[in-house]
Amino acid sequence: MTASVSMTNISKNFDAVRALQDVHIDLFPGEVHTVAGENGSGKSTLLKILAGVIKQDEGQILMDGTQVNFQGVRDSMAYGITLVSQELSLVPHLSVAENVFLGHNQTRNKLGIDWKDTDKRAVEFLKRLNLEVNPRAEVSTLPQHHQQMVEIARAIASNTKVLLLDEPTSSLAPKEVESLFAVVRQLRDEGVAVVMISHRMSEMLDISDRFTVLRDSKFIDTSTRAGVDENWLIDRMVLNKPKKAIHSTEELLKTEVVLEVKGMTDLFGAFQDVSFSLHKGEIVGLAGLAGAGRTELVEAIVGLHPRKAGDVIVEGVIVSHSTRATMNAGVVLVPDDRRAKSTIRDMSIRDNLLLSIHGRPQKQRSRRKEEKIVDEWVSKFKIKMSNPYAPISSLSGGNQQKVVIARCLETNPKVLILDEATRGIDLGAKAEIYQILRDLASKGLAILVVSSELSEIFEISDRVLVMHAGDLTANLARKDISESDVVSAATGVRT
Amino acid sequence: MKRVFKLPSLSSMPPWFGLLVLEVVLIIGMSIIQPAFISSSNLSNIIRSAAIPIVLGIGMTFTILTAGIDLSVGSALAFTGILLSGFITHMPRFAAVLLTVIIVTAVVGGINGILIGKIGLNSFVITLGTLGIFRGISYLVTNGTTRTIDTGTLINTLGDGNWGPIPGPAVVVIVVALLSVWALRSTYFGRDVYAVGGNEFAARLAGVFTSRVKLTVYFISAALAALAGIMQVGRLQSAAPTAGAGIELTVVAGVLLGGTRLSGGVGSITGTVIGLLFLQTVSNSLTIQGVSSYWQQVVTGVLLGAAVLFDRIQVSYASRRKYREESNVTKE
Repeated sequence: MTASVSMTNISKNFDAVRALQDVHIDLFPGEVHTVAGENGSGKSTLLKILAGVIKQDEGQILMDGTQVNFQGVRDSMAYGITLVSQELSLVPHLSVAENVFLGHNQTRNKLGIDWKDTDKRAVEFLKRLNLEVNPRAEVSTLPQHHQQMVEIARAIASNTKVLLLDEPTSSLAPKEVESLFAVVRQLRDEGVAVVMISHRMSEMLDISDRFTVLRDSKFIDTSTRAGVDENWLIDRMVLNKPKKAIHSTEELLKTEVVLEVKGMTDLFGAFQDVSFSLHKGEIVGLAGLAGAGRTELVEAIVGLHPRKAGDVIVEGVIVSHSTRATMNAGVVLVPDDRRAKSTIRDMSIRDNLLLSIHGRPQKQRSRRKEEKIVDEWVSKFKIKMSNPYAPISSLSGGNQQKVVIARCLETNPKVLILDEATRGIDLGAKAEIYQILRDLASKGLAILVVSSELSEIFEISDRVLVMHAGDLTANLARKDISESDVVSAATGVRT
Repeated sequence: MKRVFKLPSLSSMPPWFGLLVLEVVLIIGMSIIQPAFISSSNLSNIIRSAAIPIVLGIGMTFTILTAGIDLSVGSALAFTGILLSGFITHMPRFAAVLLTVIIVTAVVGGINGILIGKIGLNSFVITLGTLGIFRGISYLVTNGTTRTIDTGTLINTLGDGNWGPIPGPAVVVIVVALLSVWALRSTYFGRDVYAVGGNEFAARLAGVFTSRVKLTVYFISAALAALAGIMQVGRLQSAAPTAGAGIELTVVAGVLLGGTRLSGGVGSITGTVIGLLFLQTVSNSLTIQGVSSYWQQVVTGVLLGAAVLFDRIQVSYASRRKYREESNVTKE
């Protein structure tokens, strides 16, 4: 049997970050092929290359044995390859029908586009997905899971031969997943090659005929369904490392509670009814997959993300839902996206570091005092820089992050929350940041570390919280957990 | 149990509907206060003075729909007149007009379109640059003087004369508007314009040639600016390097007033026509009432602010309703 698509020796780097290294995958017509792996293992990049969204640095793509060279999405579409992207790829203010036929698939007559017929055909395609909506409705007025179905309808409408689904089920309820899978099976039986990325273990095993596992940007293993079960996947997705405990958990739990989060639900449905507490001097890891609601949760705690219900209690006092009130109460966040959320790129290192203390009384803000503050942090955190007046964008990622942490600490917090604090940071700086966090914890600061990297969670946490699809699915002391427990809780497998 | 208010479905109305009602109210009100307002000479005066901004506004609607903007339309208009004044003495009038329109479209549209569409530079910056360049060239060529042009009937009809009982400029506006409405509604290109402005990534993923769509809208905008330049010459029987100075801001105001969103993806030609007609009616009303022309600028500003505010209220109302519906769905 010849593979309808064969990708060999694919490598891709984004600047200095390696996204794929020497990966290969074969796709056969009439098969559902799942690409499994943790966040950041390169799955989405692989699909984007096949769809022509980005171009590989090295490696070949063969279509039915002939080498192809995709310069853009239009080239790959010509071969019948369609990507249903993880990012929203609908045009929000256009109608449902038009989104289904986006890209010149509308019916035409002599006078141009025939809207009546286009609407009628859209309804037919959506019916195949068990979705009955008004084809004239603006697509942004549909609920999220219906929008997802519209995207899939578009792929079907463009008569695809190779369908790439990047986490198609992440916003679907079980019933909707069923109808999606029914369609996927139908397409498979018609000879379409379907590639799927999913983080839900049961779904993968339910639908797939073949599996390929990636880890750390590398190809690990491939197998047909027969040889695969949950353990097979987890073993290959997770690299088990020796674990070392830092604090004894019993000891920590005796100390006082600094931060208590009670019954927190956000406005947009990103997470529901989350409760947990942080003790003095404790480092708690918050694990989970992308889209589990972790960033929304910590941003809701500090007043950035709108919430519907729940309380944040610091040392027994309820804090109102505002960023200033939360900061004054002693809870600060190091956000996940340095570029967009925490650094002001063209402003100096000094000004970035002092940003949070601008509300202080004027007499505390002499130039000399401020210089002293900056000097102290620079020497304490070993921030490598030419001079404090250089723009913060001139620093490496790790040093930028140290400046942001210093800014947070300058407010004398009781709780420090870090969201993906070491993403895109080299190993040396990572180790330095871990050491900083341990020192801070030993002085009584309560720290919550959100991370998608299991190794990081295990490196520094005294306790681990796990979120899955907006729910807190595990709250475990360090000594009681293994990496597979965390993966199971994060992917929604009941153990 | 929360009470659910059922507003008369405002969101099902096109965004320009409110403005149309205002326009009608204004016309009725003014004809009661000031009978001279409703005279046929005044009405055709409104139409004649609104025609050029509307033609420019239609081109602007294309660029703003793709989340861009074309600030160079005013200077392209002046540049057209100057170019025409040069050609017209050397060749038949019709050929001169055709050549002028082609050159302006190719040069202005080409520079804007290639830099913004193909290379992906910022539309505000680039067209601010071409605004300066073509205004400057117009001054340089004429040394700042106004040239009179013997226009003949064709050009005069386009800009000022009558075509049967209908003012010539009105015919131009109707033809351009109908063609544009059709193009935006019933051609792949037109739908691509909305798709690129609404979500460029999605359009690209669906196989839309996004850079070519963006390039094309700047050609359209330049071509319509050239047409407006010819109309201006027909109206004034002369070409001045100062022609259309600052008109791009009035045009953008009218386009936004008509419900087109600066962020792209939402808007209509109908809205633009009504928006600019409304601005012209307001300014005519103020003039006829003897109000200082300085006030007209204040009024335009206030109207624009009010329109955007109204739009925001409508949008947030709609999104709140959406969240309510979604949370109902999850409860089931």
